[in-house]
Amino acid sequence: MTTRAGREYILSLVAIVLGLVAGAVLMLLSGNNPLLGYLYLFRGGLMNIERLGNTLATATPLIFTGLSVAFAFRTGLFNIGAAGQMLIGGLCATAVGLTFPWSRPVLLAAMLTAALAGGGLWAALPGWLKARFNVHEVVSTIMMNWIAFWTVFYMVPRYFKGPFLETESQKLPDTASLKTQWLSALFNGSYINLGIVLAIVFVALTAFILDQTTFGYELKAVGFNRHAAGVAGINVNRNLILSMTIAGALAGLGGATFYAGYASNMQIGVLPSQGFDGIAVSLLGANSPLGVLGAAIFFGLLHTGKGFMNAMTRIPPEIADTIIATIIYFAATSIMVERVLDRLKRRRAGQLPVAAGRDTIAAPKKGGAR
Amino acid sequence: MLKRGISFVLVLVLAAAMFSGCGKQADKPEPGKPALKVGMVTDFGTIDDKSFNQGTWEGVLRAGKEFGLETRYLKPVGTTEADYMKEIGNLSDAGFKLIVCPGFKFETAIFQAQDKYKDTKFVLIDGYPHKGDWAPVVKENTVSIFFAEHESGFLAGLAAALQLKEGEFGFIGGMEIPPVQKFNWGFQQGVKYANTNYGTNVSMKAENVIYQGTFDNVAAGQQLAAQMYDRGVRAIFTAAGGVGVGSINEAKARAKAGKEAWIVGVDVDQYGEGVYEGNKSVILTSAMKYIDVAAYDMIKAEKEGKFPGGQILTFSAVNDGIGIPKTNPNLSDDVYKKVMDAFAKLKNGSLKVSDTQGDLLR
Repeated sequence: MTTRAGREYILSLVAIVLGLVAGAVLMLLSGNNPLLGYLYLFRGGLMNIERLGNTLATATPLIFTGLSVAFAFRTGLFNIGAAGQMLIGGLCATAVGLTFPWSRPVLLAAMLTAALAGGGLWAALPGWLKARFNVHEVVSTIMMNWIAFWTVFYMVPRYFKGPFLETESQKLPDTASLKTQWLSALFNGSYINLGIVLAIVFVALTAFILDQTTFGYELKAVGFNRHAAGVAGINVNRNLILSMTIAGALAGLGGATFYAGYASNMQIGVLPSQGFDGIAVSLLGANSPLGVLGAAIFFGLLHTGKGFMNAMTRIPPEIADTIIATIIYFAATSIMVERVLDRLKRRRAGQLPVAAGRDTIAAPKKGGAR
Repeated sequence: MLKRGISFVLVLVLAAAMFSGCGKQADKPEPGKPALKVGMVTDFGTIDDKSFNQGTWEGVLRAGKEFGLETRYLKPVGTTEADYMKEIGNLSDAGFKLIVCPGFKFETAIFQAQDKYKDTKFVLIDGYPHKGDWAPVVKENTVSIFFAEHESGFLAGLAAALQLKEGEFGFIGGMEIPPVQKFNWGFQQGVKYANTNYGTNVSMKAENVIYQGTFDNVAAGQQLAAQMYDRGVRAIFTAAGGVGVGSINEAKARAKAGKEAWIVGVDVDQYGEGVYEGNKSVILTSAMKYIDVAAYDMIKAEKEGKFPGGQILTFSAVNDGIGIPKTNPNLSDDVYKKVMDAFAKLKNGSLKVSDTQGDLLR
């Protein structure tokens, strides 16, 4: 198990290096010095304590969406709906935050609970559709994204709008924000907020559920082989619904940290890109909670450093976006890297290449069960 | 006056192009004082949006060329205050001490930035800094710029009504935000003005005044336009960014098939966007905001040490900040002349256009 996990991390590192090399080629092609480009990219994300805080703040919602996608992956489900679940989580948190005049700890707890419940229920529906009618969760979660998009579009201007703007909710009061004085001061006025603490807690919690509990074992068993799990007496449908619900709850919490921490209000007409980045984070993190944490921080670094690289070099923003996207793309190909390495190894050992068993991204990992 | 303003600007650009080589040498920074570098942050959408971002950037580029300044724009990852603050910080840290931010979305970000980056100057277009409560706080290092969209919409509405004389008009807006609403209300007043003073017979129905809700849904813009044309609308005023591009596409398809379909453009002269055959275009005229001029003027002012910090400026007919294009191949000379009469009246104050809804549609 340990060597297996170690191998996955090495593969992810190789993928990152490949991504950086591909990005460097792009920088060269656009007539820029890649070393200088990367220097500014990393300085932009790490140069001082404030920027470090911003990197972590950018990573926070990604940790949650990454966990969300990874959790569903483990049960063999592909959750493309993290963006919509984030929106609903954020909407629930905002609704509570703008409505109740409670004291800060109570209010924050209520907001987070609302986000958790909202995101969870939002994802439970595709889970139920999958369990009951075998509706493919990729289709239903994507559709749920748009339902969430237009729900927010209707709800925010109708019930939570500020005095002038139709397109944004009222600003959350300071008591309802995850931004905290001491944490902001510690990071020199950065956008870091309590969400990062929460994210780390949930990384530990998901790792515990997946690896240390019977429930987690059942979820993974369903992911490895649904039919075998069913024959072995595991309630497959219940596990499918629960897995989606938990995945949705995680994304919903991500929404709360984004809209009530990183931002301080909700905008209509925007599907948060973090929902989709979560898929790449999960892939790069080898679908493991700790891997997700690392991958999300790496993505946060890229997103935070990009602007500084732009400002310091002559790389135009569009090329910079392409470079970031290329790095992400290559980073998410760790499975491909694994196959190539496997093939090379087999060839060296004189064996015939055997068709690899992992044809789909969501396919289970061999030898993962305890 | 408008014509003169534009030709003067053209001459300046030409001169700048001719002397750009020498200009750079002449503009060597004084020792001890770093050269001015001008940055811009986009609010959302791309730099080539044929509208807000592009207009601002063109103004920045023109000033950059003319005064030999380094210019750069950044595109934030998202559209939250934190995203904007990050890019503003990046530019300021990299030595860009004049930053142009087009769009009301920057209001709360600039409110913080003007205190956090005291050595940096900010030009905020279409908004003013506030902390989230809409009480303006414009510090000495910030200038806030508004446009009289209602006057621009008025002139375009007047022109369209005079040219087509009768029938139904429609309006497609992006998000229901003040600048877009003011375009709409001004347009309706322009149509009414034509009906009252020039005997035209143009009407607008509530069902043909629609805010799509976004600035980027091209497909929806096409659909909405198709529905309106099917309901017998002859000309649609689009103040909707990418949504308007969809409407223009629909109009082009219809015009190609020999059917009548007119569009009134927005922000910049969109005539080129609407060309469907040879040099025939579906763009009747455009309700323009001279965003580029505003950006250029502020950079020039800073360069000359006359930055109007702490002020809220309005660009209207009075200072040639709005208008319709100088050349409108789809308008007759007589119509253009009448529109210019109205423009002159707006300028001297004898004609007023309301920037509120009153008894107008939506």
